Amino acid sequence: MRRKKLGLLLSGVMMLGLLAGCGGKSADSPNPSSSAGMAQETAPKETVKLKFFTGKVETVDLMNTLIQKFNSENPGIEVEQEYQKDASNVIKVKFASGDIPDITTVVEQDYIDQGKYLDLSNEPFWPRVLPAVKELSTDVKSGKQYQVATNVTMAGIFYNKKIFQELGLKEALTWDDFKANLQAVKDKKPDVTPIFIAGRESWTLGHLIEFLAHGIIKQDLGVKSSREAFINNESDKLKFDQENGPIDTFAKRLLELQGAGLMNKDALTATYDNQKEAFATGKAAMISQGMWVVADLLKISPDFQNDIGFSPYPSIQDGTKPVVLSADDSRYAITAESKHPEEAKKFLEFLLQPENLKTYSEFLKSPPAFTDVTADWGPLKEQANQALNSGVNIAFTDSPSGFSGDDAGRMVQELLAGQYSASLDFAKAYKDAWDKAWKATHR
Amino acid sequence: MNLLRKLWNNLHLFMALPAILLFGLFFIYPLAQGIGISLTDSNGMSAPRFVGLQNFIDFFHDARAKKDVYNTVFFAIGSAPLLNLFGFLYALILDRPFKGKGFVRAVVYLPAVISPLIMGYVWYFILQPDRGFLYHLLQSLHLGTGGSDWLGNAHSALIVLVFINVWQFVGMTMIIYLAGLQSIPKELYEAGEIDGAGYIKSLWYITIPMVVQSIKINVVTNIIGSLSVFEVIIALTDGGPGYSTESLSIYILRMLYGSFTGYSTAVAMILFVMIIIPVFIFMRYINKKEFEM
Repeated sequence: MRRKKLGLLLSGVMMLGLLAGCGGKSADSPNPSSSAGMAQETAPKETVKLKFFTGKVETVDLMNTLIQKFNSENPGIEVEQEYQKDASNVIKVKFASGDIPDITTVVEQDYIDQGKYLDLSNEPFWPRVLPAVKELSTDVKSGKQYQVATNVTMAGIFYNKKIFQELGLKEALTWDDFKANLQAVKDKKPDVTPIFIAGRESWTLGHLIEFLAHGIIKQDLGVKSSREAFINNESDKLKFDQENGPIDTFAKRLLELQGAGLMNKDALTATYDNQKEAFATGKAAMISQGMWVVADLLKISPDFQNDIGFSPYPSIQDGTKPVVLSADDSRYAITAESKHPEEAKKFLEFLLQPENLKTYSEFLKSPPAFTDVTADWGPLKEQANQALNSGVNIAFTDSPSGFSGDDAGRMVQELLAGQYSASLDFAKAYKDAWDKAWKATHR
Repeated sequence: MNLLRKLWNNLHLFMALPAILLFGLFFIYPLAQGIGISLTDSNGMSAPRFVGLQNFIDFFHDARAKKDVYNTVFFAIGSAPLLNLFGFLYALILDRPFKGKGFVRAVVYLPAVISPLIMGYVWYFILQPDRGFLYHLLQSLHLGTGGSDWLGNAHSALIVLVFINVWQFVGMTMIIYLAGLQSIPKELYEAGEIDGAGYIKSLWYITIPMVVQSIKINVVTNIIGSLSVFEVIIALTDGGPGYSTESLSIYILRMLYGSFTGYSTAVAMILFVMIIIPVFIFMRYINKKEFEM
């Protein structure tokens, strides 16, 4: 009997052993010497294997073709792509366990602070990059560039032009107009969802906070000062938990839409695919997304091209302006612990060749970040320019690595599921979560 | 001569040495290291500092962790007994001779072969309101709109999770009970019949005591499996909406992913204890029972 007990005990704790093992490794990881030993084992002279780690689901196929091209042009190097859904979190485990990719699309301030990325400041491509993008690629603390972006992306409200025309609606710049538009759709076209929220995917909800709530902070403080406020957690400037502050207002607005039945009933379980499908087939009048969605929309219905409208996010608070995200996209960074930095730079240079940038930009339907690339990037070119002029341009937020857009999105799910009795409770909880994550890496 | 014989007599002790070494290397060592990390504020990047039992104290003040414990225990209390009950009933029914027995058994067992992740996604698409299969089915049968968002509501989502888990793994439990049933000698039932025992009596006095080994295996694996539930939740609700269906093992992973390595390891220790206690209690109880029988 005793032996059996032991066996059961073992099987029961195996999982824990594994978890504990993971934790164990991560504690050792700050010591870079551990990877030095591994470099010797895995250095076959013939082919260098480069690991490209990405969290961008929409570019997986495109990158595969680009990688194929690169591999055939460079016989000594073989690039492999790895995609992970929760990439900004997964890379942490990779850093911790020594399974470090050479080049990645995941760039987080915490990892920059930890010296995880290679300094790219002296690379020859910088004069070709748009000045605004270069500014966004510059580390606020050190003034150096650890990342480079290939594209500019935009996010805002996508609307169905046909429906707007039919109902005589105009792009809304204030919250009241925006709500009136949604209400008009609801009243006159009961089969159409006024605004379709893809809440199953927490990142889309995280984006709402990033663009709408943080949008207030970003326009108040300006690009540089707001980046510093987020990175250094200057709570007097962020005012996360203030009554009628950015988060509180955001929560109220979202609950207003939900309460008035202006969003889809299944806002909590609808996927990104559902959202694209509903919008491209005319079953939803508006969605909040970025330019990355356009290629997929046209895949679903190719004729939809002329019906896509793009406008800034309406101002959600009196006295603020509408905003449109206009930021560096498709960022690349080379890891400091990469065993093949030279080869990784070669691959990066390849990606930044005008010809490949053009392909990328046209595929993603978003404008290039390089001045020497002219790409026919899509049907929204003119509208995007218009939106950039009618709204304040804001960038992505630098969140603490322990509180990703996914984590923020999960809190918005809680909000929509009615788990906060007041919008201010949500704002306080948001601040707590942010502070906790920030403190975990700043001590 | 004497020494040699002594060595020979104790050979089994040396034979166990490699196993003990491996056990130490792959179990005791990581476990000890885990305990060490759980006492620090490690974030996986900067050097960890010793914080004593702070992580464990934090756990008891962590509202999200409390909710996760509730979810995990709810899931386990929902799943484990139902799995055993239905697994046993299926085994009793499918142990009888009838045509197409193999096929029916395979159908019951089949879901257990498929990855819980895939199963979860399949069910996700079945249950989606407005688009899902269930919605269309209910609508075509004129049974209301069937439009409720089962997975968008925290309470119904947990129940759906239990249901899917039981449905998926009932075959696994059944197979183990079937093996137990088939090892019972027919003579026992014949003897029982002669003594005038009916179906219920022979079930109670012959079948159940004879499958006690199967009960042990099933109950223990079901307790362990359901308390450490992970995949089906990831696929079906991703722990959502919000954190309302998050289990402790998902929480552990997310904390590990975030910057809370030390805390995450502490929670892993707590989950370990949460699993060990019911298993121990059950084993003690059943072994005593078995002895009485």
